[in-house]
Amino acid sequence: MSKFTKEMVDDYAEKLLIGLTDEENKMVLDEFEAIDKNIDLINEIPNIESIEPMTHALDDFTFELRSDIAEESIPIEDALRNAGKTDGREIEVPKVVD
Amino acid sequence: MLEKSITELHDLLKTGKITSEELVRESLKKSHEIEEKYNAFVTICDDAKDTKVTDSLVSGIPFGVKDNYSTKDVLSTGSSNTLKNYIPFYTATVVQKLFDAGAIMTNKTALDEFGMGGTGTTCHTGPVLNPWDPTRMCAGSSAGSACAVASGVYPFALGSDTGDSIRKPAAFCGIVGYKPTYGMLSRYGLFPFASSLDHCGVLTRSVEDAAIVCDIMKGIDKHDMTSWDSSKMHLKDALTGNIKGKKLFYIKEICDINNYPNADETLKEHLKNFEETLKLLKEEGATIEEVSIDQRLLNAIASVYVVISCAEATSNMSNLTGIIFGPRSDKQNVFEMMKDHRTLGFSPLIKRRFVIGSYVLQKENQERYFKNAARVRRLIVDQMKELFKTYDCLILPVSSGPAKKFDEDKDVIDASTNVLEEHLQIGNFGGFPSITIPNGLINGLPVGINMTGNCYDDENILNIAYTLESKMSYKGQIAKEAIK
Repeated sequence: MSKFTKEMVDDYAEKLLIGLTDEENKMVLDEFEAIDKNIDLINEIPNIESIEPMTHALDDFTFELRSDIAEESIPIEDALRNAGKTDGREIEVPKVVD
Repeated sequence: MLEKSITELHDLLKTGKITSEELVRESLKKSHEIEEKYNAFVTICDDAKDTKVTDSLVSGIPFGVKDNYSTKDVLSTGSSNTLKNYIPFYTATVVQKLFDAGAIMTNKTALDEFGMGGTGTTCHTGPVLNPWDPTRMCAGSSAGSACAVASGVYPFALGSDTGDSIRKPAAFCGIVGYKPTYGMLSRYGLFPFASSLDHCGVLTRSVEDAAIVCDIMKGIDKHDMTSWDSSKMHLKDALTGNIKGKKLFYIKEICDINNYPNADETLKEHLKNFEETLKLLKEEGATIEEVSIDQRLLNAIASVYVVISCAEATSNMSNLTGIIFGPRSDKQNVFEMMKDHRTLGFSPLIKRRFVIGSYVLQKENQERYFKNAARVRRLIVDQMKELFKTYDCLILPVSSGPAKKFDEDKDVIDASTNVLEEHLQIGNFGGFPSITIPNGLINGLPVGINMTGNCYDDENILNIAYTLESKMSYKGQIAKEAIK
């Protein structure tokens, strides 16, 4: 029996604030099965756990901190212009805390 | 006129035989025709204006921009309903550099939603059709850019590449697709999909045009901390056509027809054509060797990609709430508003990818999935880097043949996914420079060949591709349907 269930998939989707149809849920389940099978292959690679995970494309980035000087920021009107509802200099949302 | 190369157009502009205004008018007219036929664009910039012709090779010349690049005051949707009304207040660095050089954006091209697909069918404006055969896909995600360049709307368009999103559509549309070493082009203003894999790049009809455009776009950018100084690199100048003594390798497990017991005639022809193409390189003095790689690593490529890219995408796209930007839901509760926006806005494909990302990032699953995928990524990249100590370049056929019919590829990872379809992701794992060029026609449809080299060795890789291109007759190729 599969270790993945419809309820699990719905739970993970809910955590992302995404609703799934039954058809979408089934497709995720099928894909999980395929990925899980391939991950089993990965786990067969000897000493896999001793390898340092690679988290980025390049290993030789040079990071430089910029000077701690305030730079010009974007005009507030620009930041607000794609928001659905605004009130003066702020974005309006329904009340969150009663 | 726009079927010509950048240097040809530049010469005509400089000598006054054509004007920038004429080119813009022609590009807009073609944009509307191509939109009608192949559904390639999200926006056509009908108010695009000509520019002054200067010494910059792209001045006065139209180009296209994939719709996941921010363009100030021009709709930028990522081909997603979640951003269908989004108008940025700034322009991506690479686009701005082209504007500064005098190039003119005449349209924004359609893509698989946020770049998260390989078929060109999940754009919120509908599927992009292949200009060689409209019953087939362009591949993705840079589907609109590939379609437009192949149709002669302009000589170049921007793409982005997280798995193979420039290089596979280029192959399916019979053109050139190049993604430079990670960080040569600033990603500032590119909508992030999977930041450790995302590359900017370009689609053109010749290697020289790709070099010209990237020479202009590259450079360190204070807005992208992963960009690096490439000022000593001159891509166009490096195209000498001399590859004597260069050493290339291909991977036996991917190229050997005996590894495909159910191979159809198309695959047989594709791999045979690949072998024939290698002979052209040998004629120019290059040596080519077969290398064997652990099949377990090769089989893992697709899953490593899915796990890492989905995990990063889940995190990157958590800002898509419909509150700060994007169409706002009319629900009365903040969480319901966000869920409504995301449920209705995302296509089924990327919803699935987000859920996979969420799953592999759960604390109890991280070690088995996310970290192990990152470990295999290192094993694959380390193996490539070791090979690049001996060889200049990895050369492989792209995909299992020409563009697929729309019902042949659902973009879902399943047990039958083979390495031939997914190997270009190696280029993203290691940030390697990688270029696809057309190398033949099968049943009247184009196929491509890819060259990938070590980081920062872009000049060398482009020169090998340039030399190979000069031995074939596909440079400047325009799709046959588009010119009817």
